[in-house]
This record gives sequence, structure tokens and C-alpha cells, in this order.
Amino acid sequence: MSERLLDILLSSFPKLLLACLRATIPLTVIIFAVSLVLGFLLALVQIMDIKGLKRFARIYIWIFRGTPLLVQLYIIFFGLPSIGITLDAFPAAVIAFSLNNAAYNSETIRSAILSVPQGQTEAGYMVGLNYRQIMMRIVLPQAARVAFPTLSNSVISLTKDTSLVASITVVELFKTAQRIASVYFEPFALYCEAALIYLLLNTLLTFLQSYLEKKLVWKPVERTKHFTKAA
Amino acid sequence: MLEVKNLHKKFGSVEILKGIHFHINKGEVVAVLGSSGSGKTTLLRCLSFLEKADHGEIIFDDFHKDITQIRPKEIRQLRMKMGFVFQNYNLFRNKTAFQNVMEGLRIAQKVPEPQAKEIAVNTLKKVGMLERSDYYPDQLSGGQQQRVAIARAIALSPKVILFDEPTSALDPELTGEVLDVMKMLAREGTTMVVVTHEMGFAQEVANRIIFMDGGRIAADQPSKEFFTSPQDENIKRFLRRTLADYDYTI
Repeated sequence: MSERLLDILLSSFPKLLLACLRATIPLTVIIFAVSLVLGFLLALVQIMDIKGLKRFARIYIWIFRGTPLLVQLYIIFFGLPSIGITLDAFPAAVIAFSLNNAAYNSETIRSAILSVPQGQTEAGYMVGLNYRQIMMRIVLPQAARVAFPTLSNSVISLTKDTSLVASITVVELFKTAQRIASVYFEPFALYCEAALIYLLLNTLLTFLQSYLEKKLVWKPVERTKHFTKAA
Repeated sequence: MLEVKNLHKKFGSVEILKGIHFHINKGEVVAVLGSSGSGKTTLLRCLSFLEKADHGEIIFDDFHKDITQIRPKEIRQLRMKMGFVFQNYNLFRNKTAFQNVMEGLRIAQKVPEPQAKEIAVNTLKKVGMLERSDYYPDQLSGGQQQRVAIARAIALSPKVILFDEPTSALDPELTGEVLDVMKMLAREGTTMVVVTHEMGFAQEVANRIIFMDGGRIAADQPSKEFFTSPQDENIKRFLRRTLADYDYTI
């Protein structure tokens, strides 16, 4: 490797990392949080069979899963101004991604809730719990465990998909790489460097996932606090 | 104490219950027998409102109402007086045996923590599951799970316990431990409705047999009479078939 190229890579690394910390990670965190809440609500109105809202949720999911994310991004950022709604690039990105991810997350959450056997709910009713208590204490904790791997998957996808927002002028990791690449005419090196940073970020997320997955498993037997207390 | 009149239930176009009159008195153990599809389980599920009946009346002590007009709040109050033991246990999978028993006490009945603990410990001891208090359902055998499920039901001191084929999902060698617990409850005077295929249990423990056939009650007799002088051909055939199995397993 030439010394010039090495210099370019070394000097751009902190810039790329900074862009990652300033834009890519905040985008991912905000979008994931918003889309999780939205997705949960969309799942819940379907599970609870709330008439009008259930229909709305199905149509919503149909549209947002059925059209490309990039197109949705362009409609919100470039399209909406023509009907008088102008958004900055960052909020436009957050809105487009959140709406899109919510559609996917809602399906993950809905199927996780449906995977909890009906008998769990029936047993809840027969010990005198009401619907809300059954949901909060029995069904959702079990569903969380089922949904977790799939949701982790979608976070990992999300970190990478945020590179799309480069196309609507948000200066995140990939946009920064593009800029540096065009200054030095070194696209191959810079895009590989950007890829490496995405890989590092997702390696961390994968570790976090397996750590949290272990936490989420119902704990193995701790012998035997109630027994000793009773004896 | 608990009574239903003229109970009807259809699933789609299939009529499962065709006008059931059923009652149970305090302290009775009633076994509900009949071949598969005769409506036994549906009867139990309608009694506990897990299925919505199409027609009928329910009477529980001094409560008397058209079963289709019943309100969610009334359903909860009636369920508080009933225990239910499921065929496949349905222990809460995210909770330990101990927490399973505590759940209804603490959350539904709002029993203070120390008393609830005492009740939970006592009932688990009663079914011989105290040593396994801190195990999750996954870590218990079927028979152990069902004993915890029985503890969960009796901890709430229901007036009647409904058993829906409590041993049908168990390996044959595990049915004994569950039946022993049920016999103990019967001896203590617990009011029980038991849908079962265990002819031995029905013969030994039940005071009264209800025989269901094609969505109707074909016989409602004291246990001894039912087995010694069966009323009609269907019952005779059923007894020949099931008692033959029963002899065979001995």
C-alpha cells in the first residue's frame, strides 16, 4: 500500500468514526425506538381486534412493506415540499425510516404475541387476572423472548440501511466516505474503510445481542430460596 | 351449588351441546365420562366461560342469570369461585412453580405478601412440590407440572374445581401421582367436577357419574349404580370398551 493511501485512510478514519457517532448511531437509536413503539401499537390494535384501527394497521403495513424504502425516503424529503410540507433531511430520514421499520416490527411483535399459547391466557383468566394483567405479566414477557432475535436482526439491518440517507444529503458515515473519496479520487479504499466501520459497529451489536439473549432466558434454578425459608 | 340449565353450544354448524342440565352440590365429586367428541370438555369450558355458550342459564349459589347476558365483571367474580385444571397444565412458562401459585393470590385476590407466601408454601407442600418451588415449568415433568397446576388452583380456595382431563397428556407412569393428589382433595371434601378417561378414578373416587353422549347427558347416576347397572346399550358398550382397557393396564 502506498504511503499516500495509508495517510488518507488513517486521517479519514476519525472523520468516519465521528460521522458514525454523530449521525449513524443516533439515527439508528432514534429510528429503532420510534419504530418499536409504533410497531407495538400496530401489533396491539390487531391482536385486540379493534375494528377500525385493525383495518388501518393492515393497510399501513401493506403500503410500507410493499414499497421501497428509498422511494419512501424520496417521497418524504423531495416530494412533500411540493404540497407545502418541507422537512430538514435528518427529521425526514427519521420519519421515513421509522414508518417503514414500524411496519416490519409490528409483524414481528404480532407473531411473537400470537406464538404464546392460548392456554397461557386462559390460565390467567382462571386465576382471576384481567386482560391487561395477563398481557403485562404473562403474554408480553414470553413474547419478548420470541421477538428478540428478530428485532435484533432488524437493528443490524437498520444500521446498514441508514447509509441510504446519504442520498438525501444527511452527512452520516457513508456520505462522509463519499465526500472524502471524491476529494482524493480513492473510492475503493474509502468505501472499504466505511464498510469496515459498519462491520465493527455490527460486531458490537452482535455481542450485545447474545449478552441480552442470555439475560432474557428465564433464569435456571437457583436452589432454593423459598424451600429453605419454609423449612 | 353450581348449576346450568338448558346449555347449548355450537361450533360453526356443529352442535356440541344440545341442552345440558347439570348441577353439582357442595362436597360432591362428579366424574364426567363419555367418548371423545361427546361434549365433556366443552361443557367444562362453558361452565368457566372459556367458551361462550349460545344459550342457557347459570346458577352459582344465589347468583342466577342467563349465561349469554353475563357481564365481564360477573364472569370474573364467578371465576374467582372456580379453580380450573387444564389437560396440558398451562403453567405460566415465564414464572417458577412458586410464582405460578403466587400470581392469582397476589395480583387477583390482593392477598398481602406474607400470607400469600404462607398459602403458596402450604399448597405446594400439600401436592409434594415444595422442593421444586423455584423450578420453571420447562424443568418439571408433566406430572410435576400438573401437581403445581393443582396447587395453583387450590391456593385460591375456590368453591369448586373443574378438572379437564387432568391426566390425559401424561405418560401412564405419571398419572398416579396426579390422581393421588386428586384423591386427597376428594377426601378433604373438595367439590370437584372431573372430566376424565380414568375409569378407575371415576369408580373409586366419584360420588356421581355423568355420562355424555352426542352432546346430551345420557346418564346421571350415583357412581356405584352407573357401573353395576348401566342404563342403556351405549353406556354398556362404553363400559365394555373402557373397562377392558382398564383391566388390560392392570
